[in-house]
Amino acid sequence: MSDKVNSYDLNVTVNGKPVLAAIEPHITLLEFLRDTPGLSGTKEGCSTGHCGACTVLVNGEPISSCLMLAAEADGRNILTVEGLSDNGDLHPIQAAFISEGGLQCGFCTSGMMLTAIALLETNPKPTEAEIRMGLSGNLCRCTGYHKIVVAVRLAAEELSHGR
Amino acid sequence: MADKKAVGQSLPRIDAMEKVRGQAIFAADIKLPGLIVGKFLPSPHAHAEILAIDTSKAETLPGVRAVITASDVPDTAVYNPASRFHGFLARRFAVFAGQAIAAVAADDLATAEEALDLIEVTYQLLPVVHSFEEALRPDCVPVMHGSATASGDSTAHTQVIITDKNSAGSDEEIDRSPNVADENVFSHGDLESAFAQSDAIVEYSYTVPTVHQGYIEPHAVTAHWDRPDHVTVWECVQGAFDARNLIAETLGMPHGKITLNSTEIGGGFGGKGEGIFAPLAVLLAKKAGRPVQLVLTRQEELIGANPAPCSLIRLKAGATQDGSLTAVEADILVDAGAFPTGWIMSNITATLRDNYRFQAWHLRGREVLTNKASVTSYRAPGSPNLSFAIESHIDELAHRLGINPMSFRQQNVIRKGDPLTNMEPQSPIGAEEVLAALAKHPAWTQPAYERLGVDGLLHGRGLALGSWAGGTGPAGALAILDAGGQIRIVLGTVDLSGSFTSLAQIAADAIGTSYDQVVISKASPDFAPFAPMSAGSQTIYAMGAAVKEAALDLRAKIFHYVAHDFQVNENELGVDEKGVYLLAQPSKRHAFETLYQLGTQWFAEYGPLVGQGSAPQRQRAPGYAACIADVTVNPRTGKVNVNHLAVAQDVGKAINPLLIEGQMQGGVTQSISMALWEELLYDQEGQVRNPSLLDYRMPTAGDVPMIDTIIVEVPGGDGPYGAKLVGEPPMVPAVAAVANAVTAAIGARVCDLPITPERIWRALHRVNSED
Repeated sequence: MSDKVNSYDLNVTVNGKPVLAAIEPHITLLEFLRDTPGLSGTKEGCSTGHCGACTVLVNGEPISSCLMLAAEADGRNILTVEGLSDNGDLHPIQAAFISEGGLQCGFCTSGMMLTAIALLETNPKPTEAEIRMGLSGNLCRCTGYHKIVVAVRLAAEELSHGR
Repeated sequence: MADKKAVGQSLPRIDAMEKVRGQAIFAADIKLPGLIVGKFLPSPHAHAEILAIDTSKAETLPGVRAVITASDVPDTAVYNPASRFHGFLARRFAVFAGQAIAAVAADDLATAEEALDLIEVTYQLLPVVHSFEEALRPDCVPVMHGSATASGDSTAHTQVIITDKNSAGSDEEIDRSPNVADENVFSHGDLESAFAQSDAIVEYSYTVPTVHQGYIEPHAVTAHWDRPDHVTVWECVQGAFDARNLIAETLGMPHGKITLNSTEIGGGFGGKGEGIFAPLAVLLAKKAGRPVQLVLTRQEELIGANPAPCSLIRLKAGATQDGSLTAVEADILVDAGAFPTGWIMSNITATLRDNYRFQAWHLRGREVLTNKASVTSYRAPGSPNLSFAIESHIDELAHRLGINPMSFRQQNVIRKGDPLTNMEPQSPIGAEEVLAALAKHPAWTQPAYERLGVDGLLHGRGLALGSWAGGTGPAGALAILDAGGQIRIVLGTVDLSGSFTSLAQIAADAIGTSYDQVVISKASPDFAPFAPMSAGSQTIYAMGAAVKEAALDLRAKIFHYVAHDFQVNENELGVDEKGVYLLAQPSKRHAFETLYQLGTQWFAEYGPLVGQGSAPQRQRAPGYAACIADVTVNPRTGKVNVNHLAVAQDVGKAINPLLIEGQMQGGVTQSISMALWEELLYDQEGQVRNPSLLDYRMPTAGDVPMIDTIIVEVPGGDGPYGAKLVGEPPMVPAVAAVANAVTAAIGARVCDLPITPERIWRALHRVNSED
């Protein structure tokens, strides 16, 4: 029997599929995503909103999922890294990160790619400075960002060709 | 032979597909039935005696499954107070703030945190040793409690090395302070007369603060006692064998009772060598009778998880008017935190002068204990610290003598056969070549900006050279001809930096088949021959040699069987991506798949095809890198902008240029950050004042420029296909190149890192008031 006080009926869309779950109201979106649908591609690097490793898109907006309560996402559309390559085809940002060496250890990669997607959505042809500013909420310790910038630039070209 | 050689190709990472799809399993992604949460109680005090710990309230909290203290460490473990590994749980004394005092395992994180609040600890506070000055005072408080050796000798294991019998390094120099854990002295030549003949002498003291490796993935470990006397561990570590050793040593367990699975690792940079928190999870899981997962928070990382040491280097060096370096004298202090490191200070002391020819030197290094988190490696440990000092000094000498800093370095740079500090001859190196590559690069040949630009900003360009001797193995690997004709490489190495991609390239070329034919299977130490830690830039150099040897052994065995089968000599055979064939008649062939079948089916004529590689220690093959940094400084705010950075590195032979560029760009960025932004701040109570990623400032994409990489290939060493070390050398020079560029811009030298706006303002103010 569900505890009415300590339970919240969450209704969200995750990667295009509806997810209904009775959750504890205090859990974060990050905890929910990793534990309930088991989407462990979203990473926890700091739990204070500084590193960006837990970035997901909520209604298209990049959000640090460690700072958002799962309940706050009620009724919204959530995109995680697992939702980027439906049917096995890589998203252009994924393909570009691979071909250009935009990832090393891979721990920041999910959040970095999702932030880049949101950036390219609002600014399809960003300059280098705009890419750097757009990604500055996501820390990467391995790459020095050079090849991430190159990858985002390539993805921007690929995406604009598709339009 | 396959159409195209794999070695030398810029191939994407072998693990890229699972990583961009979020499918790679990192340590915190491990889930087991019945898994519960581990959490430790950090000491609030940097130095205290633990008089009592009352865990009774925590134990009775519903949902708590185990509470442990030092009394739960098995008697079979021989405690060594000089080992930071044994400090995973405080015994009678807490020696740094953040050291674990007790730990709990509970059904969920909230319960575990609540239980920690219920543990009552009675502390007797002790004076905190927070600085070199405190540590070295005659009436200092010893940081280490108990003797380091079974014989009861002094805690300091002083070591003096004299490399020239006519010179100093006398017995009186031994520092018997209880907080000096280690001391090295290297002396050579007549220092006094070498300084006397110098036309320029520079003396400065350089400080580098404590910095953190800053991997984005915090330490995480899961322990599961699957049999009463056997534990299986999943952990993000750089060395699986080393992590197993650590658990065996600290808990007094036989190695055979520990299965250590190294997971994907979200960055390590030296900070996750052996994994220092596994013993907590192992003890908790044993007591709880449930699998336990312990994941550090970022705050716990920055406070207690083995940062890189701060250092003070007092340096004096001279040169003559014709540009020849004469003598160098250094007094080096390295803050190890609460436990000796054993070698970071030694690396700084022994290699400080190794990039240049000096006639005489006197180098003294001391490793000092303080009540701070114990330190460990960070990408070329100690070398950025020494590079900042010596490369600043080299620039300063060149400036005072009116010599171009590039030609000054080219004139004095060490060459093959020159004596190193330990008097061994220098190996074949690429030091001259990386300087030459930069000397003709636009970053150097373009005319320098006017110091004060029309934009009102101060412009400066700086150069620096750096090196790293690195690790040299040994290592073992297996090459197996597997079903489907795949070449399966079995090894116990952790892929820290893309090395599995390059190892597959090495194996493909050794066999003569295609890269796609090769699979790398990481195995735990239960199933793999010995692998050295993925540290010291040795993975391609040392493990690559073992993989190549295993692949060649497999190829030889395949050829032996096919030659026998075809009734020909082995030299009449060729190999391509499909299999082995007769050179004179390429249609006569055995596919790899067929060879697998022939070696595994019932009534097989021969056994399964397995090649082994057992590569001994390699020769030294030090890696050299040089950097040019171009900066602007806003004289009103003191803000530094790095506009451009070029790095040239000798890699021997580039196995995978794409991945090497990534290593160079990443290492350079960490080094820039050390120059300008990063510092763990400790107060007088030994508390970290900035334990968050907001206040501990790591660079974002917006802080750093595009980084030009120039890969240089100079023969040397005995690595596979001529490869040398890659990962660490680029970390070394950039810190000094940025510092030299800032000096060129502001006309004054900042000798304390990081070069903050405040320090720049003070330096500018000092210069202006002198004008």
